[in-house]
Amino acid sequence: MNEIKFNDSDQISKIGKTLIKCLTLCQKNEDVIVLSVNSGMKAKNHLANLGIVPGSIIKKKKEAPLRGPLEIEVKGSKIVIGRGIASKILVNCNKECNI
Amino acid sequence: MKDCCSHKERKKNQFIGNKINIALAGNPNVGKSVIFNQLTGLSQTIGNWPGKTVEKMEGHLNFLGHNINIVDLPGIYSLSAYSLEEIVSREYIASDEVDLIINVIDATNLERNLFFTFQLLELKIPIVIAVNQMDILRKRNKDINFEMFEQIFKVPVIPVVAVHGVGVYQLLEEAIELIYEHKFNPHKKEHRKKRRTHHHHFKIKHMYPKLELNTSSRELFQFPDLSPLLSFGKEVEEKIQLLEDNIEQNIGDTEKYHYPSRFIALKLLENDREIEKLISKDIHNSEIIKTSKDYRKNLEEYHGEEISTIISSEIYQNINKIIDSILIIDTRKETKKQSITDIIDHLTTHSILGYVILALVLIGIYYFTFIIGDFLGGLVDQLYTYLSTDIDTSTVAGKILWEGAVGGFFGAVGGVLVYVIPFFLLIEILQDSGYLPRAAFLLDKFMHVLGVHGKTIITMILGFGCNVPACAGCRIMETEREKKISIALTSLIPCAATMVVVMGLVGEYLGIGFVGLLFLINFIVIIFVGRILNKTMPGECTELIMEMHEYRKPNTRVIIKQTWVRTREFVFRSLPIIILIGILLEVMYIFSVLESVNIILTPITVFCLGLPAVTGIFLIYGILRKELTFALLEVLAVSIGVGSVSLLLSPIQMFVFSLVTMLYIPCFATIIIIAKQTNWKYALQISLLEITIAIIIGSIVNWGYFLIVNF
Repeated sequence: MNEIKFNDSDQISKIGKTLIKCLTLCQKNEDVIVLSVNSGMKAKNHLANLGIVPGSIIKKKKEAPLRGPLEIEVKGSKIVIGRGIASKILVNCNKECNI
Repeated sequence: MKDCCSHKERKKNQFIGNKINIALAGNPNVGKSVIFNQLTGLSQTIGNWPGKTVEKMEGHLNFLGHNINIVDLPGIYSLSAYSLEEIVSREYIASDEVDLIINVIDATNLERNLFFTFQLLELKIPIVIAVNQMDILRKRNKDINFEMFEQIFKVPVIPVVAVHGVGVYQLLEEAIELIYEHKFNPHKKEHRKKRRTHHHHFKIKHMYPKLELNTSSRELFQFPDLSPLLSFGKEVEEKIQLLEDNIEQNIGDTEKYHYPSRFIALKLLENDREIEKLISKDIHNSEIIKTSKDYRKNLEEYHGEEISTIISSEIYQNINKIIDSILIIDTRKETKKQSITDIIDHLTTHSILGYVILALVLIGIYYFTFIIGDFLGGLVDQLYTYLSTDIDTSTVAGKILWEGAVGGFFGAVGGVLVYVIPFFLLIEILQDSGYLPRAAFLLDKFMHVLGVHGKTIITMILGFGCNVPACAGCRIMETEREKKISIALTSLIPCAATMVVVMGLVGEYLGIGFVGLLFLINFIVIIFVGRILNKTMPGECTELIMEMHEYRKPNTRVIIKQTWVRTREFVFRSLPIIILIGILLEVMYIFSVLESVNIILTPITVFCLGLPAVTGIFLIYGILRKELTFALLEVLAVSIGVGSVSLLLSPIQMFVFSLVTMLYIPCFATIIIIAKQTNWKYALQISLLEITIAIIIGSIVNWGYFLIVNF
């Protein structure tokens, strides 16, 4: 897969076939770009401090069973996020995923 | 020239002997506590889970004639005002007390760590950056261009391998040099930068060989002014400048607020409530706040994002560019595809195997403690019997001294310590390895049933060791509601001391199966209490956001030291009490004072729980330290000459006695910690709740058994 780097949000349109969906629905181990975080202020700030801001490339690594939390890889570190918040993170997948 | 130097020397000599305050700051789990311990020789708790330094730790050392005071701040991700740790750390750093910050960053995770460094720089306080875990980075065929790093940030950057103490000495040297120059020649920074070049990298180069790269790629980095990388984008920077000017015009010197004007401008723009409160204390400043609101609105409209997002994204963009120029990646060598830690990580978070491993780990800890403790306990008992044969216990004084004091001592060592030491050792290994966040990941969903998220499981598992630090660790919870529920659940976990009672009594005489039954009852009580608190406390359960750190090989030295520290604390707090009370009991037994206290408690102990009246006083002592209930029982058995506890209590009495000890109240130290974390009212509420539960369940077991046997 080609490496794609994004610095500005307007470059996203160049990718071609894209799909916008929430983090919980995209495939594991696929690089996706964060488009927006629609949670409350506190969680949003917390996520921003951990590097999850619009434009950052993240990867879903694992899901705990029974609709448990998700493990995300972002900027070289692993972060566990509850499913409720993960569903409020909109990402841009460049592959069509099976929903 | 010579004059100048001697003058400088003189000044430097005057500087020696001054008290210096240094603060260690950085993200969670980057090795601040390790550096702190290396520097001060103190024993700050080290663990591989976020949030274990819950309060700032202080230590002192003498270094080259300087009297240095070092403060280990809790690990935080930013200097915003969203969590208590952040506000506390920020205020502490900004206060006049701190002369210098050592910003510890993790070499393997530069991006997120530098995000915090960026914010620290805004506070305009002398900083030395310690880049920890350089050994791991170099193992991954990466390296850092330290010259470049220093050029960009204009602060000393020292490579460190904290666990082996590499670079820690240089860190202090640089720190003192910097403080000295900051105080006496603030304008000569350029001079000192040229002076110190390669020498301080020597040791680390020697021990952890640098990557050999063709220099051509590094020549690229030789030019340029990189200072724009430390500022925000054009629009944001412009607004900050305007606001800063505004502040300087209206307030003048911002010294009285302790923060630099640019920091205040930035935080006002970010809608930081604490800073806003601080500034709006002065009515004349309302104009500034109004302007900052206008600017914020302006920026938010321009970017179509909230201000916190805009600022964080801009910092991260700069960091990306900086990392491109300071991180050297050797692409010639292939990095290993899957390391052993990846495999362990995969197994321990697996959706089926993960739970099996979790159960095995928890059971394993208890099982091994039991086996090792049993073996050691047997040895101690033999020693006591061997020693007792030659002692004359026919006189009253001899009886009090030998059977009370020495018997109490051996009872404590043989019955308590032999279990506690292996237990602490295993808990330390678990904590240091980084397993705990995996347990939080697996059980997050389940914990939501109890009204808290997965992080509580970390404090609960630590509670198996000791409730006191575990309840203090509940501070990592984000909301008051979660903190309260977590504390209640954690205080119900049977700690090492309780385990001594359970293992010594039920484990020893009734078998491991009944121990399992006790744990099952305890587990059900925890769920029950969690459900009730979840229903009754206002508010909602928040979601988990937690960093999952890499596994690391537990450091033997750290583990042994931590176990020793904990054991020592355990011994020095409880052994004297056990021996003293042992003597006291012996005296009281001889003069039959115990009777009156026990008679008062008879309705509960005898009627409800079906225990001998004498246990009343033990349960009261147990509030002090829980293992006392069992240790005193043993002392009593020795002093009235029956020898074994099994002759004092019937099997059902043992079971009920252990059950009650497990549940009836958090120990005194835990109650104090709960009160400190929340308030006295809540601490007493929890104590009362647990007493009630213990009496009710104890009575049910006692009377249930009675009815089953008799009908």
